[in-house]
Amino acid sequence: MAVVRKSIAAMTSAEKITFVNALRRFKTTSANGRNYNWYIDQHITYFARTNDNISHAHQSPSFFPWHREYLRLLELDLQTVSGNPAVFIPYWDWTGSASPFTADFLGSITNGSVSSGNFSPSWGWTMYRSSIATSFLQRRVGQNASRPTAAQVNTVQSYTVYDQSPWNASVSNSYRNRNEIELHNRVHNYVGGHMATREAPNDPAFWLHHCNIDRLWWLWQSSRGIDTYQPRTGFTSGVVDNNETMRPFGAGRTPSAVRDITPLGYSYA
Amino acid sequence: MNDINRRDVLRYGAAGAVTAATALAAGQALAGPKPIPLPLDPRDFDELYKGRRIRGRLLGLGRDELHINNKKLALTAISTLFFPEDGSEPYVAMGYISAINHYDPVEIVEGRNQDCLKKLSRKVVDILGDLELGDEAAKGHQH
Ligand SMILES: [Cu+2]
Repeated sequence: MAVVRKSIAAMTSAEKITFVNALRRFKTTSANGRNYNWYIDQHITYFARTNDNISHAHQSPSFFPWHREYLRLLELDLQTVSGNPAVFIPYWDWTGSASPFTADFLGSITNGSVSSGNFSPSWGWTMYRSSIATSFLQRRVGQNASRPTAAQVNTVQSYTVYDQSPWNASVSNSYRNRNEIELHNRVHNYVGGHMATREAPNDPAFWLHHCNIDRLWWLWQSSRGIDTYQPRTGFTSGVVDNNETMRPFGAGRTPSAVRDITPLGYSYA
Repeated sequence: MNDINRRDVLRYGAAGAVTAATALAAGQALAGPKPIPLPLDPRDFDELYKGRRIRGRLLGLGRDELHINNKKLALTAISTLFFPEDGSEPYVAMGYISAINHYDPVEIVEGRNQDCLKKLSRKVVDILGDLELGDEAAKGHQH
């Protein structure tokens, strides 16, 4: 079933409850051969270069398509565990005033340990492979960085080159790298705590943030062209080319295969 | 100059030896396990920051070591864009990330007076608040 991914600002309270309950259930129940912690493992593994010396998930052109596939799988798994095909991942437009950190959604504690309420241990949320020695989800919202503004988003969206050599975190004229560093990294640092770490998907805010990043890429594609991924050929070393499989996803899950979101079963409102 | 030569000059140079002695004395003043044996790089440090023992050893790019309250933090060097606070043009430099500051690299500045490793350890302490590093933080990876 095709779903429409809404802004957190437009969600009903019933939709918020459905979403957080699906996440909680997925912490203890597997679906389609995966569980919630599988996602944390993949984020840690594919942040690093794999043994074939390819950078799949970050600091490389496949940053966008890798996370698009990652979110699509999670959305599917949340639908499966909750037996509700209408479950969708909402997006958090951090340039606006709606915050996900409320008692009825991702929890209202934003300075230190989430020790009570939604996403606390007593509610049913546990930390996995934490590089911080704690059993509580950590957040330090606004202490280490500010949110990007709408004007900064517009500047980033105006880059016309998808990506180019050397295809890493040092490319200056690259939509992918500008978005990854100036918007994506910055919001990880803005939330702070676990969101600033390698195991960031411990915080459910990860999905709302990456959903917005995916939406921005889709908006960019809608004006620059859907089939604009770079590099195109199969011979660029160290990166995933347009028709190369993105690990750990199955055969055929290439950047090209996820360029259009319509066949992936979702759209943005 | 390559890493090894630079380090040797710093470690065994005459001016370096004086600073190393001072650093060792400062290190011995702290409680806990004995400081790292000689010879020290003059930029190595072992001190308290916000009540945490921060300990850094400069062994060359990609081999530098950092401990916070005796827990190791693995470092990964990446080439990345840096955006100056004043809004001037971004520039490319090497930076360290770790499990803790994973999206917020600290620029690696070469030279004998640089204190980037100390800067990084303070940032990590600030992020940790009153918590300690977990064992996962010691696991390194390549970028
Ligand atoms: Cu991210």
